[in-house]
Amino acid sequence: MEGKSLRGFLEKLEKAGQLVHYTDEVMPEPDIRRIGRAAVDIAAGNTGPAVLLENIKGYKGKRLAINVLGTWANNAVMLGMDKDTPLKDQFFEFARRWAGGSDGELKWIKDAPCQEVKITEDINLYEILPLFRVNKYDAGFYFSKASVVTRDPEEPDNIDKQNVGMYRVQVQGPDTLGIQVLPFHDGGIHLRKAEEMGKALPVAVCLGVHPVISLMASAPLQYDQSEYKYAAAFMGAPQILTKTLAANLDIPAYTEIVLEGEFVPRGRFVEGPFGEFPGSYSGSRRQFRIKLNAVTTRKNPIFENLYVGRPWTEHDTLIGLNTSATLYFQLRETMPEVKAVNAIYQHGLTIIVATDNRFGAYAKTVGMRLASTPHGTSYAKNIILVDGDVDPFNLVQVMWALSTRVRPQKDVIVIPNTPGMPLDPCSEPPGIGGKLIIDATTPTAPEISREVRMVDSIPESEPYQKILVELQKAAAR
Amino acid sequence: MKCVRCLTDNAAKVAEAPDQSKAWEVFVCNRCNFVWRSTEEPEVIEPEKRDPWFQLAGVEIENIPVFSPVPPLKK
Repeated sequence: MEGKSLRGFLEKLEKAGQLVHYTDEVMPEPDIRRIGRAAVDIAAGNTGPAVLLENIKGYKGKRLAINVLGTWANNAVMLGMDKDTPLKDQFFEFARRWAGGSDGELKWIKDAPCQEVKITEDINLYEILPLFRVNKYDAGFYFSKASVVTRDPEEPDNIDKQNVGMYRVQVQGPDTLGIQVLPFHDGGIHLRKAEEMGKALPVAVCLGVHPVISLMASAPLQYDQSEYKYAAAFMGAPQILTKTLAANLDIPAYTEIVLEGEFVPRGRFVEGPFGEFPGSYSGSRRQFRIKLNAVTTRKNPIFENLYVGRPWTEHDTLIGLNTSATLYFQLRETMPEVKAVNAIYQHGLTIIVATDNRFGAYAKTVGMRLASTPHGTSYAKNIILVDGDVDPFNLVQVMWALSTRVRPQKDVIVIPNTPGMPLDPCSEPPGIGGKLIIDATTPTAPEISREVRMVDSIPESEPYQKILVELQKAAAR
Repeated sequence: MKCVRCLTDNAAKVAEAPDQSKAWEVFVCNRCNFVWRSTEEPEVIEPEKRDPWFQLAGVEIENIPVFSPVPPLKK
């Protein structure tokens, strides 16, 4: 069962050479921030390891894991692939697993590992967990990788409407959390309903879960799609859950640390700033507050957090392919010409779509369709369309397409004054933006294009790559 | 005790290093919810060295924007 836990995944990473133990003493600030930054910066987010910090000053005996899914090598391990698998191949394996949808099976156990240790009095998170300030001007110590579980208060037994969402959480007191849940989030719908009823919404904050749970918590699933069922289908095995001590909430049974509590109804409290995924600080806002009534953990728990800030960071890797896969399937519902979607940049503020042209100028319609998907409405600011035989994850190929296919007077469209993403630092006012569509596909009839002959790609060269890589490895020995 | 961000007298010590090492202490402001550790960099925990853009001195809490307004009660 450890295969479904953070610990099980860390073992897999270690076997693949993608986990390091950091045993020298470090200060919570600024050392952990710097180590997190360094781990993801190795080879630009491609090959750096997860880091288990085991000697944090003042927190003797406590362990912190960072950069667990920070790099594409670690993502490949999660997908059961060789750690140097190219990103396009990871995308297709991800999409294959994602296509399982919500067909996964759920199982419940009692006396779960996540409740081996129970703290219900004198809760002090500053002493229980090795907290640290992620970025210098954050308002405090944040959970940047928390899976937050709530239920729809109008349908408390509907498991598909139970939500697991990833929201930023600030520890604002020994047993008090500040949390940013926005109105368009599924958790925001639960909160609105609870506040309309004047009720305190029960909540569980899960820290240290298998990366597939984090993946689903941060994915734009529909309101009535279960993150747990998606996770089970993705992993090809039942998802093992248990009930929280105090409420009817389901939590992954192997979670390292679970914080149980309730939202303070109809109150708003200062939260932020926080260094966010576009690489800019959010402002201070008045947001929701959670009061805790219990903390449960595994024995000797591992606290997990991620570094987020100026990209590339673990946040980008975590949400890169789930954003891409969601949009890929939504586009292909009516546009099977779409071959691949790369939405890994800043949660899809910039997206590259590889598509064939069904007829002249069709790719521009693909761009507009992307701009009107639920996620693309606020994101999908810069949309680049390339031919179906161009690898949208290979920026050398994308740049070639831009260089040789784009006719600025015909292929660049700017749509002003559309919804925008408030965290985009150039969305002004926050929430208002625009769309840029660049069609870098080859013109198709009835469009008229210049008579040229392009050099063919040579797919038959691929097997030789493997031969040459092996020869190179042998030469280095 | 004075908060390093909003500069009001609403902060208090809430924790010490749990391993009894006395390595650091943690403080929370109950007004603006700023949290800091005694061992952080001067530009984080010393008001005169903090970037003024991040300060909340003189800011009324009720003037700080709300993203999710409190909805009307349904009867």
